Amino acid sequence: MKISLGKKYAIFQRAELLSARDLLQRAAAICGLFLLVHLAGFREYTGILNGTIGSMALGWKLSTFLAVFYIVLYLAFVIVVPVLVLAAGILVVWGRLRNKAEE
Amino acid sequence: MKTRIKRILTGVAALAAAALIWLPCMHFIFIKPVSHFRQERGLSPEARQLAAWHMRLWTDPALRATELNKMRVSNAEWDFMGRSYLVWSLANMALRDPASRPLYLQTMDQIIDETLELEKQKGMYFFLMPYAKEGIYVIRPPHSLFLDGEIALMLASRRVVQEKPEYKALLTDRVNGIVARFQKSRHMLLESYPDECWMFDHCVALDAIRTADYLDGTDHSKLIRDWISMAKVKLVDPKSGLLISSFTTDGEPLAGPEGSSIWMVSHSLQLLDADFARDQYERARRQLGAITLGFGYAHEWPESWKGQANIDSGPIVPVFDVSAGSSGMAFIGASTFADDTFLTALAATLDFAGFPSRTGGRLKYCASNQVGDAAMLYAATLGPLWEKVKTGAKP
Repeated sequence: MKISLGKKYAIFQRAELLSARDLLQRAAAICGLFLLVHLAGFREYTGILNGTIGSMALGWKLSTFLAVFYIVLYLAFVIVVPVLVLAAGILVVWGRLRNKAEE
Repeated sequence: MKTRIKRILTGVAALAAAALIWLPCMHFIFIKPVSHFRQERGLSPEARQLAAWHMRLWTDPALRATELNKMRVSNAEWDFMGRSYLVWSLANMALRDPASRPLYLQTMDQIIDETLELEKQKGMYFFLMPYAKEGIYVIRPPHSLFLDGEIALMLASRRVVQEKPEYKALLTDRVNGIVARFQKSRHMLLESYPDECWMFDHCVALDAIRTADYLDGTDHSKLIRDWISMAKVKLVDPKSGLLISSFTTDGEPLAGPEGSSIWMVSHSLQLLDADFARDQYERARRQLGAITLGFGYAHEWPESWKGQANIDSGPIVPVFDVSAGSSGMAFIGASTFADDTFLTALAATLDFAGFPSRTGGRLKYCASNQVGDAAMLYAATLGPLWEKVKTGAKP
């Protein structure tokens, strides 16, 4: 019997909007993207925050674009990801409490 | 449909609750004890790592050229100020860490010699912004107090750590030149740019004169007292009580009180008039400093003054009115006046939004540049140099 990747790994299945799984999937996506830009060295371009060009070779426009891309993902990683994970936890706990009350 | 709306509302409520939990707690992952940034004796871990990055820059010409050129594209002053802050930091580090003194002295000499050579070969405009060439200096021949003051303080700092006979005449010439121009100026106000004088540069120059007095037994205490008295009357913004940043040679204000200037000014004043220095720091702390959700930062202007973002203030973050320039310089003020609460909160912001890069025991802040990192190193190490000059301990 063949089992599709989606069925085997529930985390990859499309979740209902704002469900606990949906929030965790979004958090994981942000983490993945941030990891990519971090490993790619985009942090080096954030000097634009004080008016310094990130790279003479790449010029102002591209340096600024890479810096903004990195900064947005970084802020999402440190601010949004923990909120998504905490919210997912709250939803799980809330669901369990509600189920218990219904029983 | 009803179930879907209910689920979405529950999700939104969970997100709101999570944000209310996370946002006030977020600073805990960035906050460190103040001793991580600055210590009373010896060197803090932050200072050691920042210093390691700068020492690498000064032993790797290609890397140094890359970093300095990146700054010079925006502002040639930063190239010069990065040198000054590093030399002053190394002087404090040499006094804090005698075992590494030979290495620090060697680096200080290398920076000073290269800077003097560049000034000699390319002229003072090499370290100034292009508009310096567009006007005419009121006092002739043209001199920039920005360069003269910082170079004099570099030479003096080096000599405080250990005498170097070659630098004695260079310091005396530089100080005598500044003093002569002070005496020539009707209002004791000297230009850094054509008919444009800066508070920052005056205070640094007076620090250099004060340090030269300590080193060579000269006495310019009257000049210093007269200048401070004049500044208290003419150069204080009446609404905030803070010293203004820039003015003409007649004392007409060009810019009001600014965070990018006043934090360093309060530090410089500590060597000249300790009570006035503390007064300026406390006013700046009340009107420019802020801590929100555990993160410290500083505004560029007090509420009573409206200004436009510029090369010194750096970009202004809306809503919170955060100035990158003022927030960076606030480290120097907070460190000078041992304001540990503010310093710890500022350091948390630096770790959060300064994008630190730590490799091989070296630290740099990617959101900063060489001059920003050098100013940070100065904030982490300042103290012993001023203390030695103030107490009159033998050089």
